[in-house]
Amino acid sequence: MKKVINAVIITILTVLFIFPVAAAIINSLQFGGTITLNNYMELFFDCFIFYPMFWNSLFYAVVITLLQLIVIIPCAFGFIQAKFRGRDTLYVFYIMLMMMPLQVTILPNFIGLRDLGILYTRLGIILPMIFAPFGVIVMHQYMKSIDDSIIEAARMDTSSMVQIILTAVVPQLRVCIFAVALFVFAECWNMVEQPLLFLRDNKLKTLTIMISQTDTFNTAILSSAAVIFMIPILLVYLFFHEYLEKGLTLKDLS
Amino acid sequence: MKNHSILRKQEHKRTRHKLKWNTKCKLCIGLSMIGTLIFFVIPYIRVLYYSLIDNQFRRNFVGISNYIDTLSNKYFLLALKNSLLLIIICVPVLILLALFISLALAYGIKRLRATRVAFILPMLLPTASIVLVWRMLFQNNETVLPIYLLFIWKNIGICIILLTAAFTSIEQEMFEAASLEGTNTYQLHRYITVPLIAPTILFTILLSIVNSFKVFKESYLYYGGNYPPENSYTLQYYMNNNFLKLDYQALATGAILTSLLIFIIVLGGLVLQRRYYK
Repeated sequence: MKKVINAVIITILTVLFIFPVAAAIINSLQFGGTITLNNYMELFFDCFIFYPMFWNSLFYAVVITLLQLIVIIPCAFGFIQAKFRGRDTLYVFYIMLMMMPLQVTILPNFIGLRDLGILYTRLGIILPMIFAPFGVIVMHQYMKSIDDSIIEAARMDTSSMVQIILTAVVPQLRVCIFAVALFVFAECWNMVEQPLLFLRDNKLKTLTIMISQTDTFNTAILSSAAVIFMIPILLVYLFFHEYLEKGLTLKDLS
Repeated sequence: MKNHSILRKQEHKRTRHKLKWNTKCKLCIGLSMIGTLIFFVIPYIRVLYYSLIDNQFRRNFVGISNYIDTLSNKYFLLALKNSLLLIIICVPVLILLALFISLALAYGIKRLRATRVAFILPMLLPTASIVLVWRMLFQNNETVLPIYLLFIWKNIGICIILLTAAFTSIEQEMFEAASLEGTNTYQLHRYITVPLIAPTILFTILLSIVNSFKVFKESYLYYGGNYPPENSYTLQYYMNNNFLKLDYQALATGAILTSLLIFIIVLGGLVLQRRYYK
């Protein structure tokens, strides 16, 4: 009996969590009280700004995710292997930085970009994001449990750091890399503040900005764009969700 | 004798190699460090400087007068109050709900455990899309309720995943020993499982508090502009509106104060967590 009640509660909760996705899809199919694809037609054939913005969103998310992996994998590996004074303090600093909300980091980012002269360019969106500390912390936690003997063996074979990381570290990190990549991709796909503040040219902006302009576009376009906007995330989630749980070992921060 | 010198040579070679290895490992951190320095640390120091001068042109050193201005600013205080209210109301609800669900998933119905990854979906889904549904559900609702619910809906998944993982990692013998003593389910969880996963609970509380500072995007998109109803005006709005005015002094002071607040919360959490471990 108790199990049945539990099962019912969990099922209701699960439905509750998936409901907004369903609601968004149903909403996008409604037009003048009937179910049609009218809204999508209007989006695809009458709203040409949708295409470059969709492309921008995809471009930023993919490029940032790939570049970030190149930065964070060696960094987390370095934190595990290197021995130097102040390493633990530096690590605590990374934790602090991870916890800082965007409203703390965005002004320093803005000043950094302004001084480098890359404010209002694509590079200005990409560069600050690839140094986000979140992935370093998650990978570091995961790396504590990987097999050291494989790394030792690789060190016998080669002295090239790149090769050691590629052949002995990355294969062991597979699960974690997928989990981190999923989170980073979702975060970039979701970003609102950076394109809002670091970009001026509408041609460089992302779909998030388009969907937030509720007074410029009509509901038909917005509701269908919102669904299209969810699709890449849903696809990535469907392919990678099994890694999520195993890859996220974030229970303690020591 | 000869043998000895070979050994020493080998030893020497090994320490040299080890040194080189250590340097290489340090270099691995380097790339990330350089980026962090350029985009955060150095500009942060400038932000600190901006918070201590009167304006961008005259650049007179004014000490803490910007801080006094900010701390007596009506909007800053309103924003601070609303941000803290969000933490005080939502975080306990979020954690208790997550605890309840993960207990049910870990011990109640093991077959449904696979559903827990579904709970993380809200965190990944683009806010811009979800907000449209939220607007339909809460038509013209000007209270804080929609934002509070959105916050809980988005953040519960990660808590459930972390807590369920912690619950399932507790060894089975513990329960057998406890059930021999004749404890009931409530006592079992109250005195055994919950204390064992206390570090994880603490971490999820910390994570939720920190994430509560990040709900700006949700509320910005929901209310669709820079002027939300007064009860939803949080610290992030204060910062964003000053960004639009490019009031560097107010921005810098706000950023420093917010980072100080987060610093204290995280440090407190870390110290508490270390104490639990030792």
